[in-house]
Amino acid sequence: MKKSQKVISLVMLFLSALAIEMVSMPAFAHGERAQMASLRMRTINWFDTEIFHAGTGERFHGEDIKMKIGDELLIKGKFVPSEWWPEHVNSVEDAVYLNVGVPGPRFIRIDSRINGVPMIRSTRLEFGKLYEYEVRLKARMPGRFHAHSVLSIEGAGPIIGPARWVDVTGNEEDFENSITTMTGDTLNLETYGIRIIIFWNVFWFIVALGWLGYWFRKRPTVMPRYIKTTELGDDADSQLTMTDMIVSFLFFGGVLVATATGYFVTQQLYPITTPLQTGKVEVPHKELDNSVSLEVLDARYRIPGRSFKITLNVTNNSPHPVQVGDYMSGGLRFINPVILPGLTRADSHDLLSPDGLTVETPVDWIQPGTTEKITIYADDAMWETQRLTSLIYDPDSRFAGMIFFYDPSGKHRYYQEIGGQMIPVFGEYQATPSI
Amino acid sequence: MGAYGDVDKTNEEVSLDGQSKRGGPKSFVPAVKTAADQLEAWKRLDTVMVPVMILLMGGVVVFLVALTVGDWDYWQDWRDRRWWPLVTPLSFIIAPAVFTYFFWHYFRLPVAATCIAVGYGVGVWASRYFNFHVFAGFPVNFIAPSTFIGMCIVLDATLALSRSYYIAGFVGAFLFGIIIYPLNWPTMAPFHVPVEYNGFVVTVADLMGYQYIRTAIPEYVRIIEESTLRTFGEHVAPLTAVFAGFITILNYYLWVWIGSILTRSRWMTKLV
Ligand SMILES: [Cu+2]
Repeated sequence: MKKSQKVISLVMLFLSALAIEMVSMPAFAHGERAQMASLRMRTINWFDTEIFHAGTGERFHGEDIKMKIGDELLIKGKFVPSEWWPEHVNSVEDAVYLNVGVPGPRFIRIDSRINGVPMIRSTRLEFGKLYEYEVRLKARMPGRFHAHSVLSIEGAGPIIGPARWVDVTGNEEDFENSITTMTGDTLNLETYGIRIIIFWNVFWFIVALGWLGYWFRKRPTVMPRYIKTTELGDDADSQLTMTDMIVSFLFFGGVLVATATGYFVTQQLYPITTPLQTGKVEVPHKELDNSVSLEVLDARYRIPGRSFKITLNVTNNSPHPVQVGDYMSGGLRFINPVILPGLTRADSHDLLSPDGLTVETPVDWIQPGTTEKITIYADDAMWETQRLTSLIYDPDSRFAGMIFFYDPSGKHRYYQEIGGQMIPVFGEYQATPSI
Repeated sequence: MGAYGDVDKTNEEVSLDGQSKRGGPKSFVPAVKTAADQLEAWKRLDTVMVPVMILLMGGVVVFLVALTVGDWDYWQDWRDRRWWPLVTPLSFIIAPAVFTYFFWHYFRLPVAATCIAVGYGVGVWASRYFNFHVFAGFPVNFIAPSTFIGMCIVLDATLALSRSYYIAGFVGAFLFGIIIYPLNWPTMAPFHVPVEYNGFVVTVADLMGYQYIRTAIPEYVRIIEESTLRTFGEHVAPLTAVFAGFITILNYYLWVWIGSILTRSRWMTKLV
């Protein structure tokens, strides 16, 4: 191998070593469809999601949300950790962090809360309880991003919630991130401390070049020293001169003095510092309204028809007559157009089926104080396109979702989580077994 | 002085890169005919191969640190008083220890650690700047690497002064573990200033970790400030430093020993 080739191959090796750091980079692609069906269906039930321009309140229904750098985006909604949580997935009772799915710091997060409690740190949640969340972001870099709500669950990974497309324009250079410390200083976090960092890095780099420069001051150094060391054998140490000792001592002492000086000067400059803060934050939960309760009698998934059929008893203990308006599962929302007419998708990736829900019911409205047996059909090709049909390949064929009831005025709404055993059907539905 | 006197001597044992001695003097670069030519070749070795070697060793250590220290050194909000100053010197001393044996045994050059610190510095700044700043979009101040140059010079200088791996380990490696925190404190302290944010007291570093979104690194994965040592309150840092110093000594001895095996076995096979 020629020397030039050797040099090139060494440089390539160096670069490939650097590339390893890339692998450990915090990347985030919206891999919602890649997640196991049971993870999407039976972990976090997301609903009532709203993502909009926080400054103007504009919803941008049917198109991308348009923002400028420095504008704020609000992601808010509700979720219920599923009672049918898969046994093989870590629980929300250990550690949960309210996250957001964007490709890195294209936004900064300026606030995030669950049930009103700031979520700077992690928390714990309970199954079957109601949580309201809110994440406020500020656009930092231009581009078109799919912004998701995400709950990170220790051991289970990110549970990806609903999303909207956001189109950010403007000049990155204009972005400033000013904060005020408890010592009263106002800082721009984009550039804070960078001069000190550069100063110390350059300083130590020069010191190192001084040390290496001393030992390699003769040209050539390496081969003559090799020969000398070999020749001297056991006496090889004798080639170190008195000057070598003095220089070594000066560098040894100099480094310790510079380190100590740097430390004490820094203590003077920043007399008030605190250790990194950690530890869990407690969040109060809310109970679901149980006025309308239900009991699943039978649930079947018909694979060729991409159709999900649930037969259930509904008991209405609320003061209003109610009927099923929508059913949500695995991020998909199936609407009964009889109850909720005229809904349309917020954007091309909105997982809404405006007429995907059919309700077979003996009465138009389930009256207060009565129990009725109804059957709902959630039919849409989204089952397939969102790869939720893989549910039948999960180790336990179970489903979960949220079912929503409305009164005739539309003013009152009741919701419950629904779930249980699901049986796949490979041909046509048979008559529901009599129960 | 001494070293130059040897140049004129035709040494049959030594080839240009100091490695391939198989086949005797005739087989290596035939261009070296005169003593002047050889001097030129040796100079080229110093000016080309030494910097390349520094960069290469640095690249290897960037890789090693990424695998072992990783997040503790990537982010300002991971450099705590407990784990970062313990894990980092323990991991970072491995390569200097291995190469110290090579450089000292064959050349009596106390430069291995400093060469690595410089090569690492170049590599890690390139990686952080391009990967973390340009590509991923994090502000440079949040992902700036730590410096280990001071620790490495102390280690090299101790070896030069003592001419003994044992003393270099006992004094140099101990200081290596001890001074990482004060050495880096000037660039860390600004990020440990407290801020009140939404009713919580956090450091500037914590706040940046919260604001600059890392979806794949939720807050709970941070391994910081975790230990029973917390009962020692503000004395956590010095206690950790002493502990880190002691185990760094042991790790230094271990890797110098491994370095001696690697170096000798490779050279032995080349010599046979
Ligand atoms: Cu997405």
